[in-house]
Amino acid sequence: MMVNGTVVALSRIQFAATALYHFLFVPLTLGLSFLLAAMETVFVTTGKPIYKDMARFWGKLLMINFALGVATGLTMEFQFGTNWSFYSGFVGDIFGAPLAIEGLMAFFMESTFIGLMVFGWERLSKGQHLAVTWLVAFGSNLSALWILVANSFMQNPRGAAFDPLTMRMQLTSFPQLIFNPDAQSKFVHTSVAGYVTAAIFVAGVSAYYMLRKRHVELAKRSFRMAALFGVLATIAVITLGDALGFVDARVQPTKLAAMEGLWKSEAAPMPFNLIAFPSQAQRRNVADVRVPYLLSLLVTHSLTGTVPGADALERQAVSRIEDGIPAVQALHVLARNPTDAAALAEFDAHRKDLGYGFLLERYAPDLNDASPAQLERAARDIIPPVAAVFWSFRVMVALGLLMLAYFVIAVLYTLRNRIQRKTWLLKTAVWMIPVPFIANEAGWLVAELGRQPWTVFDVLPTWMSASTHSVAYMAFSLIGFVVLYSVFIAVEMYLMVRAIRLGPAEPGDAGGPGSQVRPSLSPRPLPAAPYGGRLEG
Amino acid sequence: MSTHTEETAVRTFLYFLLYMIIAVAVIFLAAVLGAHGAWYFAWLVGTAMIVLISAAGGALLDTQEEHAAEPAPAERDRS
Repeated sequence: MMVNGTVVALSRIQFAATALYHFLFVPLTLGLSFLLAAMETVFVTTGKPIYKDMARFWGKLLMINFALGVATGLTMEFQFGTNWSFYSGFVGDIFGAPLAIEGLMAFFMESTFIGLMVFGWERLSKGQHLAVTWLVAFGSNLSALWILVANSFMQNPRGAAFDPLTMRMQLTSFPQLIFNPDAQSKFVHTSVAGYVTAAIFVAGVSAYYMLRKRHVELAKRSFRMAALFGVLATIAVITLGDALGFVDARVQPTKLAAMEGLWKSEAAPMPFNLIAFPSQAQRRNVADVRVPYLLSLLVTHSLTGTVPGADALERQAVSRIEDGIPAVQALHVLARNPTDAAALAEFDAHRKDLGYGFLLERYAPDLNDASPAQLERAARDIIPPVAAVFWSFRVMVALGLLMLAYFVIAVLYTLRNRIQRKTWLLKTAVWMIPVPFIANEAGWLVAELGRQPWTVFDVLPTWMSASTHSVAYMAFSLIGFVVLYSVFIAVEMYLMVRAIRLGPAEPGDAGGPGSQVRPSLSPRPLPAAPYGGRLEG
Repeated sequence: MSTHTEETAVRTFLYFLLYMIIAVAVIFLAAVLGAHGAWYFAWLVGTAMIVLISAAGGALLDTQEEHAAEPAPAERDRS
């Protein structure tokens, strides 16, 4: 049964909208949990209570973010069943396992330990509480690992094979699934992007306090730790971005062609389109600014390497579609008679191009009558929306480089202990807070728009993955989700801003044995060394 | 007295056992991840490094502040 094109489009928009909302919360949790672990490690090793206050304050913000992150993530898992039922049936045997582990990690390990972390300050020993904080950090990141393993299967399906008798994909190798090169580089790229997000957030809020001359000692230390955390994480995120691009060049050449606005194949060394205005209809860039040699260097790490352009990839797709036609036809025979040996043999001979046969079925329901024009149209579909992928990629990279420059300057000044005097840098730090969130969303768009027209790359096209809902149902649920998630964002912003305005508890407010011994942190005039108060533990 | 010594010995042995299990688990993890999941291994090592450098930065700030609060040598001599 053909799924209505509008329903597919609305299903995609709904998933994209919920995922983009959800992905506003996730990276902050991933990074802030490890930054908290760093602060608490200093508290336990030095015994200085200001680090406990830091861990408690940033822990409160983590809790707000975590709660709303879980709330927005819940519905996404249900959407696989409600809006993408064909996809769920087709790859459920593989996709279900990491998704289930992710759920277990998030709801059992992470949620349990985050409860202990927030409410266990007076109930656990220092060492036990530190262990709990580290477990929260590992739990949240390992939870992300499993969802990214599942996502990487969609980008580069490894460790599974289609079974024509059960009509779905089945797991053949769990190690291949989890050690998928795309999963490895994507997990580390995403995780450290979360570290960068948290570092910018902590530095920005700390800068706000320093500008307002509030909680200065806590803010200085938070800024210092966030700046160091951030500069290293930004270097890591750029390194892993390069690694991911290297993987994509081999396993998702159409995504790479879209990221680089590469319509025509060229000889080495290939130039890099720094700026371009791609036209999907004209299959070319209307205007571009190019840097010689750079593309070969970036994606092949050599001056002699090349990557195919959209033209070559479309030509390859034509022959793969022709090869996929007998596979789809054999599958229809097997659906009626699973014991047909001739059909099974025919299917096995052409199974690697089954997905390409499905691409053509969208335009030619009867594959025997497929015209060359229909074949060409199906082949053109393999190129994702170039302008959106191209610009999302450039936004992500440009913001990544901006954050690196910012952190380098921040580290220089904070290591000299002069950050409080650099008002311009503190103001910049506050304005930098939205930057990693935009970069994260742009990165997500590159990954997922670049996967089109497939839900499972080279295997299952998007057009046949959706459920057979009505347009009215999809429009109604989409509006519902957008309204609900907008409320979630508003609640998060309100709670965060309120918690930040309130600020950390003043010495003694927090309770517990440590808070009472910090008299030297009380504001006092010290003209010779204005920030030189001792911090005995 | 001897009961106390025995308890201490048992506790020490249990700690030894715990740390040995952790050490073996870490070696196993490093061997498997090093061979099959180099980026996962890099994430484990890199995350620990980032956290520790960040923590060291915080501790360094305390030392800098303590030095800044100390009176200059000439001032000390006068007093």
